Amino acid sequence: MTATTPMPGDVGADPHGHTPADLPDGATPPDPIIIEEDMPRTWPDRLRSWSRLAAALVGAIGIFSAFLVARGADPIVVFEAMWTSAFGDANKLGETLIRATPLLLAALAVAVPAKAGLFNIGGEGQLVLGAIGAVLVAYSLGEETNGVLTLTLMAVGGAVAGGLWAAIPALLKYFTDTSEAIVSLLLNYVAVIVLAWLVFEPLKDPMSTGQAYSRPLAANQNLPIIWGNRVHLGVVIAVVAAVAVWLALRGTRWGFALKVLGGNPEAARRAGLKVGLLGFSALAIGGALAGLGGMLHVSGLENRLRPDLMVGYGYIGFLAAWLARHDPLKSIGAAVLLGAIAVGGTGLKISAGLSGAAVNVLMALVLLAVLGWSRPAPKALR
Amino acid sequence: MTRRRRWTAALVALSLVFAASCGSDDSSDEAGGGGGTGDGDSDLTIGFLYVGPKDDFGYNQAAYEGSLAVEAAFPEATILQAENVPETAEAEAAMQDMIDRGADIIFATSFGHLEFAANMAEQNPDVVFLHQGGLVGDDVLDNLGTYFGTVYEPVYTAGVAAGMATETDKLGYVYAFPIPQTLANINAFQLGAASVNPDVETIAISTGSWCDPGTQATATQSLLDQGVDVITQHQDCTKTIIEATEAAGAMSVGYHFDASELAPEGWLTGSEWDWDDLFVQIVQTIVDGDFVGSEFNGDFRVGLQTGDNPFVQSPFGPLVDADTQALIEEIEAGFIDGGSPFAGPVLDQDGEIVWADGEQPTYDEVETMDFFVIGVIGRTD
Repeated sequence: MTATTPMPGDVGADPHGHTPADLPDGATPPDPIIIEEDMPRTWPDRLRSWSRLAAALVGAIGIFSAFLVARGADPIVVFEAMWTSAFGDANKLGETLIRATPLLLAALAVAVPAKAGLFNIGGEGQLVLGAIGAVLVAYSLGEETNGVLTLTLMAVGGAVAGGLWAAIPALLKYFTDTSEAIVSLLLNYVAVIVLAWLVFEPLKDPMSTGQAYSRPLAANQNLPIIWGNRVHLGVVIAVVAAVAVWLALRGTRWGFALKVLGGNPEAARRAGLKVGLLGFSALAIGGALAGLGGMLHVSGLENRLRPDLMVGYGYIGFLAAWLARHDPLKSIGAAVLLGAIAVGGTGLKISAGLSGAAVNVLMALVLLAVLGWSRPAPKALR
Repeated sequence: MTRRRRWTAALVALSLVFAASCGSDDSSDEAGGGGGTGDGDSDLTIGFLYVGPKDDFGYNQAAYEGSLAVEAAFPEATILQAENVPETAEAEAAMQDMIDRGADIIFATSFGHLEFAANMAEQNPDVVFLHQGGLVGDDVLDNLGTYFGTVYEPVYTAGVAAGMATETDKLGYVYAFPIPQTLANINAFQLGAASVNPDVETIAISTGSWCDPGTQATATQSLLDQGVDVITQHQDCTKTIIEATEAAGAMSVGYHFDASELAPEGWLTGSEWDWDDLFVQIVQTIVDGDFVGSEFNGDFRVGLQTGDNPFVQSPFGPLVDADTQALIEEIEAGFIDGGSPFAGPVLDQDGEIVWADGEQPTYDEVETMDFFVIGVIGRTD
């Protein structure tokens, strides 16, 4: 596999000849922004790191349990209710996967720019734009067009819209030296307002009797349901996207160049890499991935644009990316975990006598635990 | 540097999640047995979905209190509660979760839940779905129905109180979406006010949300800046607007819930839900096996003409004098006798006659209202 082939001049290669790709599954995920990821790893090292992770997660669950007790709920009841809601049967597992789908693409939208040392906090807005782009393509194609072609063009439309939205902070960064983190974050609010305007004004469903939403997609504009009543093809597409991103980052010159840029921008510049173009491409491709996520969500599940179509997905996706240390494959697991916690929130609402927002506390604790677990930086970097 | 960067990112991420969630600060509880374990031998399970929190001094709190009445009337039943269920496909997921926990009856209480309740009704023929405020028409599934009161009747009489009380002749109306129900309310409010004060006008502002306190505060301030001295609303959570109005020394007309404690000075009156009897009646009909073909298996509407309106006048505040209260009682008596807030002549904003002298719409016709009457400042599209 290309991913395991060390590249000539691989600045990430460590003195023992390991590349990050040599690490077996479950080893410490590489951190994209820092070079310490390529430090030598030995088995005792790994063992220590795993036990730290286990301790951290137990700690997170312990703190959350204390929080539950303080709120007058029985932690066992809560965890059982959450588990039932997230994984209790095939329906529930399906719901978790559906919820994880846009989260995964939003996580990839963070992971790709992060390889180049860039912060994309605009996943939420890029998801929204993707949904808008896909729906606009669907409306302009009409209901007569062939289904596969329609869905393909909708996916392209969503990705292009998300990519263009992410290109705004990228261009501003390279022409005016603004922070891509701040600009992409603020654009989330703009995106939501654009969506609200569309569903209140030009795209409002004439049959909506005053409600703010667009008219429904036609049957051939919906992703096929592949399992049960609700699980749509987007679940598979999201996983394929994650694998594709993983391959692209590991196995292409572009992915390698992003890593060089992320590791040391000055070195990248001196090595003759087109730093501006690389950073732009990372952000734009990240945005395109989120845009695809918006398309999958609207075409597979929501069926029309609504003002609160994507609320929270981009931000939870950001958490997923950090949980996975920006590793595309591990992002799959992180998205499913956070999707499960989000879906588990329903059970927590229904059965546990607790606020549904309490799941945000759990998400935060898990993230802090995983970040805290990260192995200490080598002495030289401290 | 790398550490600081990582922790900065973590902080950013956390604050974003909390920012995203604080807009939907929700809480919930199970009124029935703990942990879905059920209580008693009966396997009757009833689920209630709310779009907002159960303590919103408004729509959701009123429906929640109705669910407590059901719990009291059917002590053997398990009651499932889910608050802050958005009007997106997540509502279907929440309903599915309730069904998997044994729900036989589901009350979907927000206007925007209708589409999802209808989908779930089609997929789950053994579960009865009741929707609050929507319209399903005559050709309805055997396990679906909607219910609502004629909200505009007490809103009209509240408009009378507002028309008497205003000194600037400007009333303010904060609303969410221009759905027929809301348009009927705003029109009734203006018509009630104009019936005692021909110079009065009502400025209507949309927030685009059932409960967005930030936008509510802005809308309230904007109304106050335009010289409005009585503010009412069609929002789910009513607290922010009433508190801001009271703080500015203006007068409040409540909606959905008796919030007079929030406005001891400026509270005029309002209208509020009393779902207890209707909810119990609906559940009893289903338990008895009489739902199919019953009045609840369709669009059930009840008002002063047809029986006890579940939507009743709130207590009067100190600013409403005895004469006004007597007048309001008289008007109510007229509605009970078959009158309507929309008894003609009713003119739209362009001055065109909608219902001529001697005409009045039926309850069904009011449900499809799509215009503002003359005297309302605002647009319906």
